[in-house]
Parts: sequence; structure tokens; C-alpha cells
Amino acid sequence: MESTQLAPIPAAAGQTQSMVDEVDLTPVRTYWQLVRQRFMQHRLAVVGLILMTTLTTMAIVIPTVTGDAYQKTSLTLANHPASFINPFAPFGFDTIGQNIFIRLMKALQTSLFVAFSAVTIIVVIGVTVGAVAGYLGGRVDNALMRLVDIVLSLPSFFLIVMLVALWGSGNPAVVIFAIGLVGWTTAARLVRGEFLSLRETDYVQAARALGADDRRIVLRHMLPAAMAPVIVAATLGIADSVVVEATLSYLSFGISPPEASLGNMLTNALEFFFRSPALIFIPGITLILVVLAASFLGDGLRDALDPRQRVKG
Amino acid sequence: MAAYIFRRLLQSIPILIGIAIISFMIVHIAPGSPIDRFRSGRVSPETINNLIRLYGLDQPLLPIWVENGMSLLVSLFLMGLAGVLAWFALRGMRRGRTGLSVYATGLIALLLMGGSLYLIITGFREWQLLVTWPGQLINWMLAFLQVWRPDAWGYSFTDGQPVITKIAERVPYTLELMGTSLVLTVIIAIPVGILGAVRQYSLSDKIIMVLATIGYAMPTFWLGLVLKYIFAFQLDVFPLFGRHEFGDDSIVDLVWHMVLPVMTLTIVSVAGWSRYMRSSMLEVMRQDYVRTAKAKGLQTSRVLYKHALRNALIPIVTLLGLTIPSLLVGAAVTEAVFSWPGLGGLGVTSVIERDYPLVLAFVMVGGTMVILGNLLADVLYAFVDPRIKY
Repeated sequence: MESTQLAPIPAAAGQTQSMVDEVDLTPVRTYWQLVRQRFMQHRLAVVGLILMTTLTTMAIVIPTVTGDAYQKTSLTLANHPASFINPFAPFGFDTIGQNIFIRLMKALQTSLFVAFSAVTIIVVIGVTVGAVAGYLGGRVDNALMRLVDIVLSLPSFFLIVMLVALWGSGNPAVVIFAIGLVGWTTAARLVRGEFLSLRETDYVQAARALGADDRRIVLRHMLPAAMAPVIVAATLGIADSVVVEATLSYLSFGISPPEASLGNMLTNALEFFFRSPALIFIPGITLILVVLAASFLGDGLRDALDPRQRVKG
Repeated sequence: MAAYIFRRLLQSIPILIGIAIISFMIVHIAPGSPIDRFRSGRVSPETINNLIRLYGLDQPLLPIWVENGMSLLVSLFLMGLAGVLAWFALRGMRRGRTGLSVYATGLIALLLMGGSLYLIITGFREWQLLVTWPGQLINWMLAFLQVWRPDAWGYSFTDGQPVITKIAERVPYTLELMGTSLVLTVIIAIPVGILGAVRQYSLSDKIIMVLATIGYAMPTFWLGLVLKYIFAFQLDVFPLFGRHEFGDDSIVDLVWHMVLPVMTLTIVSVAGWSRYMRSSMLEVMRQDYVRTAKAKGLQTSRVLYKHALRNALIPIVTLLGLTIPSLLVGAAVTEAVFSWPGLGGLGVTSVIERDYPLVLAFVMVGGTMVILGNLLADVLYAFVDPRIKY
């Protein structure tokens, strides 16, 4: 009986040396401490985290400080290359004299905002549908999963193009909703799967036996346990959303000038493709960096949050 | 297996109806109208009204069914009968009966279902309700099934051509692009993936993984632009865009024009497939039977290619099925970058011009391809892996 009461108090441990020897002295670590440890051991994940934090911070801070500067044109500065005289334009100026760096940061802000908002919608719809289907089961589950099947069978990119083009071309809100409304199915399936297995676990049965109502069981007990795959899917979803937004803007359905987005910077650059290719490479490489950061982060989170899911190799 | 395919085909009917309803509603409830671009001071209100009537935009979205109640009831009864028969057939198949009676029942069920659908369609045509471009949801869905009629999918709003013809004439262009790219992807990605797995953590593996990760992160259209800049502008070896030089129909010219778009598509998919192949191969190489084969003293090459590779290819075969839908509609962006006259470009244009019949046809064709692709993937999976039973 004595030996099962664990968590040795340091003071007591010093007194009775013989007892302490039998006790496992490795510090008790919570789930999140383990997660952090596993995450930090994943080198690419840390790189992804640093990259993502840097890009997000720059995208928030620089456009806020510079304000409207990203729209300012100047004919005298048109096609001006980068120079030491103007340290605020490390990439020089584009064909209508806009500061490329400031415009890039604004574009990054827009693209990240669209991606994060779209992923939020994906998570909210996906978790709600998945949780309801997985918890209630039976007919509700069946009906909701048929809905998921239908949405999954729609040609997704064409549907997004259709939604954006017909319901408000050039409007960031429409882009966000289009990506969100088409993309929630994966999250829903993941949460439903988790809920189906969690529903039968002992601790949920115990909570029910103690008289917890459905709301409490779902929100307090099941949802936190089901979130790991959703967090991973959401992180990877950011990468996808950024690319979809850029592609939409490239096809001139997305966000249109004078607002800046990574996609429409590329579209504008097309006109002067062969004269100033830097205009293609700068937003493109930024885009790749965002996607890489998000996917490294997602892979790392998957290994850290849920080691069973680890992709071997 | 037959029962499984049969059940999946039955299940896909409600899914297709769902797709039809959702896409129809998205298109028709959307703000704005296809005739908005004609609304200027110079176009008379009568012309506008005529256009509205011509396009069928004045019809209610849901039809008034009351007049044709009889035909409908009969058809629905037949449908119900077919459903019951199908259920019996399925139950028989699931219980492992393989006799003639089970398949006959299934066949009769399918025939009845087709017959009742046909009754509904012809019934509506006799009551003059089936218009060429149905603005009504149900009429549109019914008309859509009559693929053998050239006007089944309606006429394009922009040039008045039948939608079926417009889509059909673009299919080969997209297929030549996507087909070539798919073949190249398989040829390149599988050896590359195997190399990465066999020499795990070696220099070549690291290089492959870095390249694959970057290739995976690149947006397709951007890669297209970069290739265009390098090969069409700086080096000036390949043409910038298009499928043919004007007045030159030779194969050489076609291949010359195909290089850059195919390269774009292939690089992107090789990046994904080789990662997939590598992890699949690693997974298999870790298994006991491979160790046993090695322990028996078999040659390494024999272990790898005779024992490991066969199982590692199973997920790739599935991937092949899932790629089928993108064969037709997946290349929209690449086609836009290289002005390739394929389906993807047609789809994007149809959306811009609010060519409703064409847009809806695209969604339906795309949806059907996705469903068939998924079915094919599952069937192939069971076919190559006898452990899988449905």
C-alpha cells in the first residue's frame, strides 16, 4: 500500500534512502511537456516553427507600421533597383514604382489572413460535424457522413473557383468562405473517427456514470482528446489554403489590386515577365517558404502530438 | 466483389443527386446573372427579356409536379420495386450466394431502375416540360441523364453549341497532356522512391527528399512560369504557349509544345509520388518476411524487387485510381499558364462567362470522375492485394 503512494517529496526522500531506491525517480511529465520535448527533438519542426513565426510577425508588424505605403506609386522610382540609398526597399521598386518589399509584406499579410481564417472555418465546421456525428452515431452519423461523401466527391478546386467567381470575385471574405466550405470534410472525418473510439473508453463511461451531461462530456472530456489530428490537419491546411488563394488570385478570381496578395503580385508581374523576372521570383519564393514552414510544422506536430501516427522513415 | 461494386454503384446515385442539387443551387442562387453583361443602354429591354427566356432563366427553380402526378407515381412505384429487388440481391450476395438467381435479381433491379428513369424522362418530354436548357433543377437533372442526345446537357450560353460537343472536343487535348505526364510520373517516381528507401539517409536519399519537399511546396502555376522563363525565354528552346505553331500540324511540333506543360505537371506529381513510394517501400522493408528472405541468403536485388517491391506498389496502385479524376479536370492551372486548349481552360472560361450549362456539366463530369476514380482505387486495391476482402 505504501509503495503505491508515489510522488516522492524531496525532503522525505532524503530521510528514508532505502525506500526511495524502489521508487521511479524520473520526474512525472504531463502530456504537453512530452509533446514539447518531442517537438523540440524534431529539427525540421523547429525550423518550421521559427520560419512561420518570423513570417507571421513580419506580416503583422511591417504593414501596420508602413500603413498605406504598399499602394503608393511613384513614376520616378519605377523599376528602381535595390540600392544602399534606400534601406527600406531591399528588393527595389516595381514597374509602377511601388516598394516591392512593403508590398510583399502586405501581400503576405493578406495571404496568411485568408489562410488562417479559412482554416478556422474548416476547423469549426469540421469539428462540429465530426463531433455530432461521432457522438450521436446512428442515423445522424449516417446522414452527416453522406453529406461528407457528397462534398468530397465534388471536384474541389473547380468548386472553389465556381463559388468565388459567381459569388463575389475579388472579395477576400468570399475566398475565405469558399476554401472553408469546401475543405472541412477531412477534419470532420478525423474528429468523427476519434469520437467513435473515445465514446467507448472507460473514462468517458465513468464521466457518464457520474452524471455528466452530453455537453460536458463532449466539450470537457472528449474534444480535448480528439484535437491532436485536427491540429495537425489544420497546420497542413494552412499550406494548402495559401496555395489555393494564390492560384485563385493568379486566375484573377481572388484578391484584386490595389490590394496585395501573393497571387495577384504574380499576376501583375506577368505583364513584365521577361523584363523583370524578380517580380515573379520574390513572391513565389515567399509562397514556397510559407508552404514549407507550414508543412514542416504540421509534420513535427504530428510526431509530437500523436506518436502512434508517426510516418516512419 | 460483384456485390461490392454493385453496392458502391447504388450508393453513388444519391451522392450524384446531392452533387447536382448543391451545384445547381450554387450556380442559380448566386448574385448576378449571365445576361448582366448585355445590360447596357444600347440593348433594348425586349432583347433582354428574349435572352432571359432563351436561356430559361425565367423558370422557377423547382418544378410544379402536380399535373404529371400519374406518370410520376408509376415511375416512383417502379423505382421502389427496383429498390426492393436490389436489396434482396445485395443480401443474397452478402451472404455469399453466387447462384444465377441472385445476379438475375440484381440485373432486373438495375433494368427496372433504368426503365423507371426513362419513363420519368419520356413522360416529361410528352408534357413538353423538358426544355433544351432546363432552368429547373429536376428537369435539368433528368435531361442530364440522356447523354446520347447531343442537347442533353443544354447549349452553351456563349456560342450556342451543344455542351456535350464542347466538352468532348476538348477531352483529347487534356488527355494527351495528363496521360503523358502520368506515364512519366510513374516511370520516374517509382525508381526514385525505391532508391531513396534502399539507401535511406544516404546523400542521394537526402538530395531526393529535399528536392521532393521543395517540389511539393511549389504552386503548380508558379513552377510553370519559372520553367517558361528559363526554357522558353532565357534558353529559347521551347515555345512559350499553345499546342501548335500556326499552320504546322506535325507531331514534332506538338511534342515540342507539350514539353513544358508536361514537365510542369510531372515535376509536381513526381515530388508527391516519390515521397509516397519511398515511405511505402520503407514500411515494407521493415517487415518480418523481408528479413526472413534476407536471412535465407537471397540476393539483395531479389529480396528488394521480388519480395519487397510487389507489396510496396500496392498503395501506388491505389494512388493511380485516385488520380483518374484529375486526369480530366486537374490541369486547369497548367493549361491556363501555357494556353493549352484543354478542359481546364474551358472550365475556367465557362465560370468567368457565367455559362451555366457548361459550368454545371463540368461539376457533374468532375463529380462522376471522382466517384468512379474512388471506386476504381478500391477495386484495384482488392485486385492487387488478395488479403483485402469486401
